Amino acid sequence: MPDKTIQFEIVTPERTVLKEEVLQITVPTTTGEITILPDHIPLVSVLQPGVIEVKRPGNIQEIMSVSGGFIEVMKDKVVILADTAERADELDEERIKAAHQRAEELKKNAKFVDDVQFADVTAKLEKELARFRAVNRWRKLKNTDHKN
Amino acid sequence: MAKTKEISRRIKSIASTKKITKAMEMVAAAKMRKAIEAVLKTRTYANLSWETVLHLARLSENEAGRSLHPLLSRRPDLKRVAVILITSNRGMCGAYNSAIVNKAEMSVKRHQVATDFILVGKKGTIVHPHGHNVAAEFEKSDILTDVRDIYPIIRSVLNDYQNGKYDRVLVAYTDFVNPVKQVPRVKQLLPIELEKTDEYLGLAGRGSRAAVSQEFLEQKEQQHLTSDGLFFEYKFEPDPRTVLDSMIPRLLEIQLFQAFLEANASEHSARMTAMHQATEAASDMVSELTLFYNKARQAGITAEIAEISAGANALAN
Repeated sequence: MPDKTIQFEIVTPERTVLKEEVLQITVPTTTGEITILPDHIPLVSVLQPGVIEVKRPGNIQEIMSVSGGFIEVMKDKVVILADTAERADELDEERIKAAHQRAEELKKNAKFVDDVQFADVTAKLEKELARFRAVNRWRKLKNTDHKN
Repeated sequence: MAKTKEISRRIKSIASTKKITKAMEMVAAAKMRKAIEAVLKTRTYANLSWETVLHLARLSENEAGRSLHPLLSRRPDLKRVAVILITSNRGMCGAYNSAIVNKAEMSVKRHQVATDFILVGKKGTIVHPHGHNVAAEFEKSDILTDVRDIYPIIRSVLNDYQNGKYDRVLVAYTDFVNPVKQVPRVKQLLPIELEKTDEYLGLAGRGSRAAVSQEFLEQKEQQHLTSDGLFFEYKFEPDPRTVLDSMIPRLLEIQLFQAFLEANASEHSARMTAMHQATEAASDMVSELTLFYNKARQAGITAEIAEISAGANALAN
């Protein structure tokens, strides 16, 4: 019997990042990381910056970074409305490291700015951190694949 | 000879006007390309998020969920309505502005309630002399790229709505269908509810664009939320209030942002079309006038020859 799948769609204001039939999805919500399997109870929750892991049929895993957004779970359909999201295979590790460092420095130096700017900087930092973690996770997965 | 001179002067002036309209057409075309790209990029997100919001609004109408969120519940009496009217900053775009202003005024007339206009774009000031009340005027940039540009607008509107100054917020914008077709629309932003009337159905259309309608949502529920005739209810984590508090304003922002992008794309396409027509009209006039010019010139030459030969004849005799 083929495995049950979920229609999964993740969109940002810029584009549709992924639209696939998947087996399971792991997302970081504000109350902790959750994994969604088929026939999950309908759920609406808020995402926090972090890593999304998706398992597709054929043992393919997708890693994505997300900087916040919302998730709507229906019985056999999951929609993620993300603020920004990137797939790990699109991310360039070196550049992310640099961006992450830049964001850190910005935060250090920007002590006297107003609230809005501070929130901006923090959001940026969290976004870069999420990307960074996504890439790390992705690399780890690839390495274990090679060993097998 | 005087006549030909006059005609040639007119030809020159029309030709230079044509150059200007041609240039404006090119500029509008370039801006339109950018605007269309932006509008298409956000459309999926905006449609999906609107779908989610409407869905929640529908579910909140179930007896238990009535008080799910203040922004989702309809108010019993309608005292004051706000209309966000999106127009262009400059003219030369055909019937773009008059179409949307007419549409907005028509829907105001039908409502028969006190209405405040919130204007975005300079050309909206036309509603002043029409005797409408204007609550605020916001500036609009020609190319909109950042959602943050509209934060001031959405914040002031949300505040006024929550304070009870307005009981309903509409947004009047021009929906971009394709470069030659734009449809003026009035869409209800607040409270979030689904009405059967076409104009409140949002960024909907047929085909590639998700048609968000009552039937669509029912179908979606049928497909994804029921099992053996039993109906699932949404679970909110951590709790409904927290989720909806952060979700609804964000989704409203996106909705308004999308309306702005649609309006921008429409404006630039309308201007491009108008300028294209102007260029064509100028070409027609030039060729017509050239014909007149040639005729006049020929007539002048003929008359001169006739005069000369008449003079020569008179001398010979």
